[in-house]
Amino acid sequence: MAFDYLALGIFSLVIIFMAAYGYKVSAKTAEDYMMAGRTIGVVVMFFFVLFAISSSWTFYGFPGLLYLHGPGYVFFIWGSVAGFAALYMFLGPRLWALSKLNRFLSPIEALSERYESKTLRVLLSIAMLAFIVPYVGIQPLGVGRGFEALTGMPLWVGAAYTSVLLVILVVLGGMRIVAWVNIFLGMVYVTALLGSLFWAVSVIFPDAGLVQAAHELVEISPDKLSTPGPLGEYTPTLVIGTFVVGLLAFAWPHVVIGAMTARDKTLFKWFPLLIFIFGGLFFYVIPFIWGSLVAPAALPGVTSVAEADSIVQTVIQIYLPRWFAVFVLMGVIAAAVSTAAVQLMTSSIIVARDVIQGVLKPNASDKQITSLARYSVAGIVIVSLSVTIFVQLGIGEEAMALYLTDVSVPGFAQWAPALVGGLLWKRGTKQGAIAGTAVGVIYLILGLLITGSGGERFLLFNLHPVVPTLPLNALVYVVVSKLTPKPSEHIEDIFFTEVEDYLLSDRSAK
Amino acid sequence: MREIAGHWPGRIFLLVLALSIIIMGVLVAAGFTEMQVLLFGWMTMPLVLGSAFVIIWLIAYLIYFFKFWPYR
Repeated sequence: MAFDYLALGIFSLVIIFMAAYGYKVSAKTAEDYMMAGRTIGVVVMFFFVLFAISSSWTFYGFPGLLYLHGPGYVFFIWGSVAGFAALYMFLGPRLWALSKLNRFLSPIEALSERYESKTLRVLLSIAMLAFIVPYVGIQPLGVGRGFEALTGMPLWVGAAYTSVLLVILVVLGGMRIVAWVNIFLGMVYVTALLGSLFWAVSVIFPDAGLVQAAHELVEISPDKLSTPGPLGEYTPTLVIGTFVVGLLAFAWPHVVIGAMTARDKTLFKWFPLLIFIFGGLFFYVIPFIWGSLVAPAALPGVTSVAEADSIVQTVIQIYLPRWFAVFVLMGVIAAAVSTAAVQLMTSSIIVARDVIQGVLKPNASDKQITSLARYSVAGIVIVSLSVTIFVQLGIGEEAMALYLTDVSVPGFAQWAPALVGGLLWKRGTKQGAIAGTAVGVIYLILGLLITGSGGERFLLFNLHPVVPTLPLNALVYVVVSKLTPKPSEHIEDIFFTEVEDYLLSDRSAK
Repeated sequence: MREIAGHWPGRIFLLVLALSIIIMGVLVAAGFTEMQVLLFGWMTMPLVLGSAFVIIWLIAYLIYFFKFWPYR
């Protein structure tokens, strides 16, 4: 046990040291704290974004769902890879250029200026915070579960440990150090996830590795090797729907904000290469093999969602030495902290820049909003920890994978029409953006909250929440935009002409 | 994206990406992922189909972004 504490202590000291160093070298301006001074290059950006999206969900929720339902859920990953690449290929250059030219510090600020609307700024801020803050809370919860399984300590201990690390990292380090620390955290996580897979396969299936695992699965449960899976859930309709939900990853606010921190436009040329090769063809395949092949062949028979969520860790604890299980837990903490830190940064920027400076205190100085962003980090962590408290008290829902895909992703998707239209469609108007976003968010919330006696979401026609809400949002946005006066030529100049001229010039390549 | 849709190489690039999504949807609907066939003895069909999809996007991206993208 002493080794566990020592290892976790050293791990947290490394993070705290990096955060303190980041504070020392930072320029102490809002642009430096929130946008990393717009100096992030392609390699740092890759680790920053990949591990901002690869949370403890990739260790618990994702393999857990594959374990229970077979490989159909992997289409969420294929969709996400395409969605993230699409963000950097299609929207990223424009968002980056207009933010750099106009010194915008948040994507919501950029959209509120594009649509000339404070109402939209408030609406988008509230909607994004409402869907991102509980997602932040899931990360400490994942670590708490890992602590509980490994050491027997209560759930809240691991959650509190993660939260303290998060607050120190984000408050001191800001966006630049969050990005740099993601390199360290990402390496720890990849080593733990890949190392545990290689080691477990060599121990459990010594004769033929993955081929042996697959053949054993053919004998035990062949339904787990194809869709629709052993429970018959992943029908073609659901598989395609899952893929479409994955595609919407381009609208995750904590990923969108990453595009604004880029050093120059060449990043957008190279970044998709890393996403396709390292993300799509390597990194996400590791938890897929764990959840769909190795775990079901090694430990068949688990049927509860909570046990399935922990299946990878359970296999590691049974078959590998204890010291390695501690290292893997460190990897899970790394995954949780890297994601939650970026989400926390994003949330604090929205609170400080969009809600406080944008609406409540327009004259706030640069120094004041930097301080406000730091204070809001602590507040957001406290609110997000309620997720852990609810679960500890037995009130909350623990199916982590479904929280991400059923609540957060549909919520993030509700700003997609305003975002895409604002960047690409000159005719998109303030009224259209407000109406579309409001209709989508209200419909989504009502659809999730008002359910039948059997839990059926009849307002959503029992479809995935994003299926009826997003098209309605987009339709309202387009129709209302067409029916209202088009934006002024001044707005067209700033958000289209100047941006295109800048991107075509050599100035944007420096 | 406006710059991509504004010239022929870009439109072809977008068409390839869109077609890859449509073809993947058609294959899923046709039951391709329901086959219990294991490529190399362990790769399930959802993994094979998804990997092929990513590779198509990768090739299309490499050709377009390094040869035709207006902001390159």
